[in-house]
Amino acid sequence: MDSSLDISRLSREIVSQLAVIVRTSQLHDPRNIAVATSIEKFVSGANVLILEESSMEIEIVGEYFYLNGERVKFTMEHLLNFDFLQREFKKRALGSIKFMCEVSTADMQEFLTVFTSCQFSAEPFEDLTLKIEGLRCISVGRLRRISEQSDIDMRKTVKRTYFNAVSFTRGVMNKIKVGERISMKKAKRVVETMVDTLLDKEEFLLGMTVIKNYDEYTFHHSVNVSIISVALGQRLGLDRKSLMELGLVALFHDIGKTLIPNEILNKPTAFDEQDWKVMTRHPLSGVKLIFQMKSFDSASVRAAIVAYEHHIHPDGSGYPGVKPIAELDLFSRIVAIADQYDAMTSSRIYARTPMTPDKALALMVKRISSQLDPLLMKFFINLAGTYPVGTLVVLDTMELGIVFSANQSDNSRPKVKVITGPGGNRIESWVADLTEKNAAGGYLRSIRKTVDHNKYGINLAEYFL
Amino acid sequence: MLTLNTMSAEDILRPAQELIQVFQRARKSLRMYPANNPVYSRTIEDAFRRSDGFLLEYGDLELKFRQNDILLGDQVVYQSQDKEDNFAFFFFKDGVRELTFRRGLSSMELGEFLRAISFDFERHGEEEDIVTLLWERDFEHIKYVIDENFLLEDEVYENRAVAQAKGESNDEPELKRIYGEIMKEEDVSGQPEVAPVTKADLHALLKELERDSVSKLPKLTAMLFDFFQEADISEYVGTVDLIIDAFEYCIKTGDLRSAVGLLAKASDPPPVAQDVLLMKKELERLLEFASSPEIVGMLGEQLDSGELFETNIFEEYVRRLDKSAVPSFISILGELKTIEARKRIINALVFLGGKDIQALAKGLSDHRWYVVRNIIYIFRQIGDPGVIEFLVKAARHQDVRVRMEVLRALGEFEGQQGVLPALREALDDPEASIRMMAVRALGRMKSAPAKKIILSRINGKGFIDLDFNEKKEYFEVLANWPETETEEFLLRVLRTGSFFKKSKVAELRACAAYSLGLMGCRGALGHLEKLKNAKNRLLSDYSYRAIKRIEYGQQPGH
Repeated sequence: MDSSLDISRLSREIVSQLAVIVRTSQLHDPRNIAVATSIEKFVSGANVLILEESSMEIEIVGEYFYLNGERVKFTMEHLLNFDFLQREFKKRALGSIKFMCEVSTADMQEFLTVFTSCQFSAEPFEDLTLKIEGLRCISVGRLRRISEQSDIDMRKTVKRTYFNAVSFTRGVMNKIKVGERISMKKAKRVVETMVDTLLDKEEFLLGMTVIKNYDEYTFHHSVNVSIISVALGQRLGLDRKSLMELGLVALFHDIGKTLIPNEILNKPTAFDEQDWKVMTRHPLSGVKLIFQMKSFDSASVRAAIVAYEHHIHPDGSGYPGVKPIAELDLFSRIVAIADQYDAMTSSRIYARTPMTPDKALALMVKRISSQLDPLLMKFFINLAGTYPVGTLVVLDTMELGIVFSANQSDNSRPKVKVITGPGGNRIESWVADLTEKNAAGGYLRSIRKTVDHNKYGINLAEYFL
Repeated sequence: MLTLNTMSAEDILRPAQELIQVFQRARKSLRMYPANNPVYSRTIEDAFRRSDGFLLEYGDLELKFRQNDILLGDQVVYQSQDKEDNFAFFFFKDGVRELTFRRGLSSMELGEFLRAISFDFERHGEEEDIVTLLWERDFEHIKYVIDENFLLEDEVYENRAVAQAKGESNDEPELKRIYGEIMKEEDVSGQPEVAPVTKADLHALLKELERDSVSKLPKLTAMLFDFFQEADISEYVGTVDLIIDAFEYCIKTGDLRSAVGLLAKASDPPPVAQDVLLMKKELERLLEFASSPEIVGMLGEQLDSGELFETNIFEEYVRRLDKSAVPSFISILGELKTIEARKRIINALVFLGGKDIQALAKGLSDHRWYVVRNIIYIFRQIGDPGVIEFLVKAARHQDVRVRMEVLRALGEFEGQQGVLPALREALDDPEASIRMMAVRALGRMKSAPAKKIILSRINGKGFIDLDFNEKKEYFEVLANWPETETEEFLLRVLRTGSFFKKSKVAELRACAAYSLGLMGCRGALGHLEKLKNAKNRLLSDYSYRAIKRIEYGQQPGH
């Protein structure tokens, strides 16, 4: 392979350009001169890779594109194109396009004509396969489901990553309480693993954040905020290193609480003025602890800023009550969103009954601008979807289910873990994709209403672990 | 993939062993040489040539790590029992169990890999390990497998936590009952509308990320001072400790602007503190720290590495220091390697030295001549007469370059006590260049006492025996006093005749002609006309040139 070739960049550009030509082909005939120019750009990029690797396969697995088996890492500028192309693939049940030899502009024009026309077909993938038979260079593959077995293996890995992070956080906080030194090396490694897991299996790791533990709330909360922050950071197009930094600062955002006496932290009655005074000092304590734990560097500086700012709101309200800060740090605003969401959906000393995920999200929407950043909230809502993970739902099939993961191609049609049959009988739970249609083109299942799982004592952990 | 099944063991093992040795050697070289040294880049190029050749011939190289061994397949390709320099243990201790170099590895990637493994963990690595460094680089053609057990805090925590979280599940009748109730419940939920992300959002996000890329230090420094608003008096010490640490970090990372920001805030702290005096007293520690050899040394390192800072920011920084910084600045003056860095420090000392000349004068006893010369230059720039006593002492310095700088400085303190005696003393310096410089310094003064010294030297015993150029120097400066007395004196010299030392006398007369020419003395033309045909070539030549200069107003040297 030509070592000077930047494969990552080329791969990104090929996928992005494919999105461009698919989109323009839906508006104009692919033989139109404007479309042809875009097609030529795609063809020239694709042929560089085909010549190097003798063939090129663009495949979608889960929420990601892979090019010749390597995951294509998108940057923010390609976000819309990648999202669009993903939806177009899924609409046609298309899993992959393979180019077996050098492709010509004419080949692509023909392919795009068929690709566009089959979107309204009852069996789009079959239609597409049939109509491109004449193209010697291009073949397509059906959208693959991630196998049950690999699903189980992934879940094991994710579970391990999650609980190890919680256990680590517990260890850190306990060590701080007794004045022991903690290992920042290990903290970084824990977060690196979380970032890797999130990049690979976002839906599974986000699913873990619905597991709440009243007794170990602080540790779970720190890890959950870290996971949600990294997931949001990924949507914002942050690179791996920045995601690690974000994960790390989010993990330690509440570290100052370790200095709050347990009598206050666990006080079952309402806080009095003195309690609040102690409580609202935790951002300051956090800063001091961070610099005790870690020498000054870009990560500790950022962590200190976030620890200090995560309860200060864009409108200047919140605490610590210092003079208004010109602009809150980007990471502080991300962590504030993750912090509020996880806190609202958790059972805590001072709010024993948690909110349902959809209600928490709705309340957060009301706090946009005053407490939460509008732009970041827009990305967060897109991440969470209309029905966030962990929402108990009744389907129009009269089955009961729990939202399992958001669906990138349609926010209102997540994947749902079905937990009862239509009559309420317990079944072996299974995951239904609400974007699936029947032969007539109608959806197999839709959400009829959402329900508060706490009210009915349904333990989500039973279905997520 | 390189396996032992496809070719004989000897075919592969030796090149693999050699490649590991190449990496080890590269690691040592990269630790030894700075990145701008040619050896550094040559090391990476060489390692790439070797690895590229290997991968092309044998395919991917998959190495497995044990505590003291590196294996290819099940064959040991590296072994060491060394505790300090053990390449296998270096990876093993941080949890690396497999490392694969894949065909297509680029020079850039290999360079990054070598930089990662040559990181000085002992010096900077308290919070780093090799896995994090590899992870951050996100290699395309270098893959590694980690033993995740390495990270486990509590091996049974997961099982315990899962069991606790799952708790008891709802039994069948209970679930049915719940189901019934749920179905009866009215739908009151109001899901938020999910508006898709638009191009305008992405544009706004791009701007946001751009804003986010700026240094976070100014924000942190502002934040630390806000602490005083919330802190109890007992926390002042801790808060100032943090501010000091932040200040050190600013200097280390070359963010002088933020460092200046901290100093500015320290001199004008927030007014809401409980005990302003106590706070100010504590904050004085920051100023002391800013002036300390430790911090000034770091500044020097930054300057030497090419980080020259914005001039106004550097000046602002220096302005905020007090005279206690003088010794620190003097001590780095001799250490700096680049001219630009030295210039910056000299300028700083011109400002700071003016506050404490005594402290600056201590630099005159430095064993390095160039430091002493710099101090004298700084004295000259300060221009305070208080420095003269130190200049006079330094005029006897053993190094001629120092004495020369002293004379330059003394020449600028016309009329000040102590200057003339020092210059007169310098006229007897063993070095001709110093003597001539002293003459020029006296000439620049244009004062009567200075003229008196010059004339008395010319009339003195032994003057005639000096080298022609040195004599000429005296007569040249004499032209700075274009007075009747000078003219008469020069004419007397011009007319001097002697049977002894004829050529030396002719030199004197030539010098007088030269001086008269410089003065444009028309009254001397008659005498010069006679001498332009003198037998002595020097005398005739200088007389002719003096005539020309007087008649045509030519400048000396033309």
